Amino acid sequence: MQFAQFVINGLMAGALYALIAIGIVAVYKSTRVVNFAHGYMIMIGAYLYYTFAVLIPDMTWAPSWLSSWTPEWVAQARVGAKMFSPTAALYDWIPNIPRIVFGLAGAIIGSGLLALFIERYLMRPLLGQSNFSMIMVTVGLISVLSGFKSLLWTGDAASVPHLTPNPAFRLDFFGTPIFIFGANFMSMIIAALIFGFIVYWLRHSSAGVAIRAVSEDQSTAYSMGINVPRVFAQAWLIAAATGAVAGAVLSARDGVSPSLGLFGFSVLAIVLMGGLDSFVGVFIAAMLVGVLEALVQWQMGGTWVEIAPYVAVLIVILIRPHGLMGQPEVERI
Amino acid sequence: MIIGNRKVSYLEDEKILNNGYKKAFVYTMIALAIALPFFADDYTILMASLVGIMLIAVVGVNVVIGYTGLLSLGHAGFVAIGAYSVSIIHNVLGHWGVPDIVHPWVALPGAMAVAALIGILVGLPSLRVKGIYLAVATLSANFIIIFLIEIDTFSQWTGGRLGLTTPDPNFFGWVLDSQREVYVLIAIFSFATILMVQNLFRTRIGRAFVAIREKDYSAEILGVSLLKYKLTSFAISAAFCGLAGAMAAYFYAKILPEQFELALSLQLVAALIVGGMGRTMGPVYGTIIIVLVPELLKIGMGAMMGNSIEAAQLRAPIQEIVFGALIIGFVLFEPLGISQIMDRFFRALNRWPFARG
Repeated sequence: MQFAQFVINGLMAGALYALIAIGIVAVYKSTRVVNFAHGYMIMIGAYLYYTFAVLIPDMTWAPSWLSSWTPEWVAQARVGAKMFSPTAALYDWIPNIPRIVFGLAGAIIGSGLLALFIERYLMRPLLGQSNFSMIMVTVGLISVLSGFKSLLWTGDAASVPHLTPNPAFRLDFFGTPIFIFGANFMSMIIAALIFGFIVYWLRHSSAGVAIRAVSEDQSTAYSMGINVPRVFAQAWLIAAATGAVAGAVLSARDGVSPSLGLFGFSVLAIVLMGGLDSFVGVFIAAMLVGVLEALVQWQMGGTWVEIAPYVAVLIVILIRPHGLMGQPEVERI
Repeated sequence: MIIGNRKVSYLEDEKILNNGYKKAFVYTMIALAIALPFFADDYTILMASLVGIMLIAVVGVNVVIGYTGLLSLGHAGFVAIGAYSVSIIHNVLGHWGVPDIVHPWVALPGAMAVAALIGILVGLPSLRVKGIYLAVATLSANFIIIFLIEIDTFSQWTGGRLGLTTPDPNFFGWVLDSQREVYVLIAIFSFATILMVQNLFRTRIGRAFVAIREKDYSAEILGVSLLKYKLTSFAISAAFCGLAGAMAAYFYAKILPEQFELALSLQLVAALIVGGMGRTMGPVYGTIIIVLVPELLKIGMGAMMGNSIEAAQLRAPIQEIVFGALIIGFVLFEPLGISQIMDRFFRALNRWPFARG
């Protein structure tokens, strides 16, 4: 039963898709802008993580605890631990904690500033203009961001530390062995937690209610005393923060490379499949596409994986134009 | 709108070149395009051909985005279809032993027809979804088309990732085997395309497109069949993109699938935005800017920094940034594009020395 292995791989990939999708849905819900450049913001986040977690701690002037934090007890425990056991993975991970925290903080703050800049100077002047112009601005952002990336970071694919310990587990599932990498599993948990937290926050906090009110009707929300520009800024910040975490996780899994930007397009397809304004629908779609990709990889080989989300979205759009759980827009003449 | 031109008959008003400036401009451009191959150097010919190829495609994109108001981010796929169809048809006809002289007459219409058919297929979602959904559907179609070209199953026809060597067309016994000769073909088709699209919007079909752009449901209530006209719009636009692809295939010695990826789709849309959507001259201005600005950057940076390796490394990212900044800048500050700027300029010129603006 290889099937179970691939389904689990798919779920782990799907959770990451869901984490990235949060950014697109949050921005769409509050500002009605579909961010085509979200993948490239994730790429910038990944490169920031790489800068703060690898490049800066490895500089000669950086304090030694930042690059490798080994207190006495860790060093001792590491010697005692069995090779390739979960405990060994844990003790391998502990020295990396400072650089991971530093890298994540740098990535989140950096992407956050970038998102605020984009929202304030590129999106807000277009308030009230047609949707088309906002979409085109994000399309323009694609090349601007990818250009800045190649200007600032010339190196190609590099590896970065995982956010969590990365032991390999071998489980027995009704007699078939299943391999799970700890970091992938943990990132699935992280993604699911962040996703759940954001959905809960949107439903139960006053800031979340404000976002939902703005998504319902911008001008009414404005006249009811909701600070609409602040809501926009919040939505972009959510997108930037989740994007930065996703960028860190993805770059730890696949290495830092410019191809992270293209990832955003398949997530865009997933978001449309689930319904642009429905977190639940998007979560389901992300999991479905994750599993679908894994099954396609299993049955048809690696090359077909890259178009699986696009074929899926085309089929779903033809049958349900507003996605699995999206609200149809009512148009009045 | 330029005022101050007196028309005394409806016929005069209905003319395409309905005033002296337009006439002078168009005739000068035609004369220039004819004269170019006789004195220009290879570099100028290369640039002019690139502008011409892209112009045909952008005029096609203008039909769908500018006139019908359907956002498409996948038109590079149709360009790819055109380029590959034309090469494959040439190869197949050559294999069957059909004389060379017949090839282009089958291949060009054939490529346009194939592109139009695929266009209708890709346009199908446009009946049910609009705006962003359609943009992503067409984007997906672009990815899928490139993928199908690249996979091994079809690689005996398409050449897969390694690309396809393209044929030299034989028109009336004249083999166009240099870029200078293909330029002539490109120039003719560029003018023909612009003229055809300009004319299209004086017909029932073109007016239906504009009605759909303004408000599709209202158009349907007024008796414009959305099914028929949205698909027609996609078909026409895809056919022109296919023609552009065919020209690209004749122009380059070899075509590669990566030439037709998303970046080209974005370039087509960018050229349209920079030039001005839904305007005849929009694609012309836009294409010139989008093709020539990177070249000017290259020349400018070469003059400033010399031909060092660092300069070469900086060039590609800076070209990318400028390209994106052009889109953003025009959307933010001049959404109607260069045509609007030119309109203002011509209006001021026309009224000079009286009122400006």
